[in-house]
Amino acid sequence: MSRADINPAVGAMLKSASEWLLKEHSLFQSLDLKPLLIGRNKATFSVYLPEEFCNAEGIIHGSLLTIIMDSIFGLAAFTALDELKPIATINLRSDYMADIAPRKRVICAAECSKLRGDVAHVTGTLSDEETGELIASGSGAFMIGTRGPNRESRL
Amino acid sequence: MTELNLINEYASAAPIAAWLGFSASGEGGEIEFRLAMAEHHIGNQLIRALHGGAIASFLEFSSQAALHARLLGERSVATVNADVDYLASARAEDMKARVRFIRIGRRLAFVEAAGWQRDEQAPVAIARFRFRIGEGQK
Repeated sequence: MSRADINPAVGAMLKSASEWLLKEHSLFQSLDLKPLLIGRNKATFSVYLPEEFCNAEGIIHGSLLTIIMDSIFGLAAFTALDELKPIATINLRSDYMADIAPRKRVICAAECSKLRGDVAHVTGTLSDEETGELIASGSGAFMIGTRGPNRESRL
Repeated sequence: MTELNLINEYASAAPIAAWLGFSASGEGGEIEFRLAMAEHHIGNQLIRALHGGAIASFLEFSSQAALHARLLGERSVATVNADVDYLASARAEDMKARVRFIRIGRRLAFVEAAGWQRDEQAPVAIARFRFRIGEGQK
């Protein structure tokens, strides 16, 4: 795994965040996130698709793909920062391109294409780890330096 | 069967509805959807906010279930794509949603969902979904 070019403070934060995600968080624990690459403006993870996210037809419900993209895209936005700041999704667009069965793994590759002031633009794809088939793609915008939920608005 | 019955039947067959803590109440155009907050919906433990993906998932499942019921459970509905706007941070509390059909055509449907927590007039997230309507029930 490469962490080249990430700001050291942000890198340390990402490391503790990923450790927490993997050990403490029940959602991410069940997704068994495996980092394949974390670099400046880039995050690629291998993700497990648990059965509990199936629809009535026994295939993975598309919204799990959105959950995965929201998380990994957010991490990609973090890698673009020079200092540690909270971030929040402004909006996310997901396109679902293929059905996928549970108990498989997908690769989520995200890239922060541009940081413009306090807005990060991120795009990425999800593909079947085994076959390479494109399963979904997405693009999102993230607000840098947001406040918590105890304020009237985080934006 | 009423729309609410169809929605409940649809949800009971889908494991993801259990993960969401999904339920619905009301009747006709007044159906209200609910996500029962659970620890696995928290995205960031430090600020104790609902995960944006969990919110998106709840709005998508609500829209899909509502469309399924509006089509009398006789057609399959598959999401083509989704757009979610996050208007405000979501507290670690239940979320409610209402669904509006923008257009239901022969093969496609355009559906909007709004999710809120304490005040319906101040939604936390708004989403737009496009669904491909299948020929028959899958």
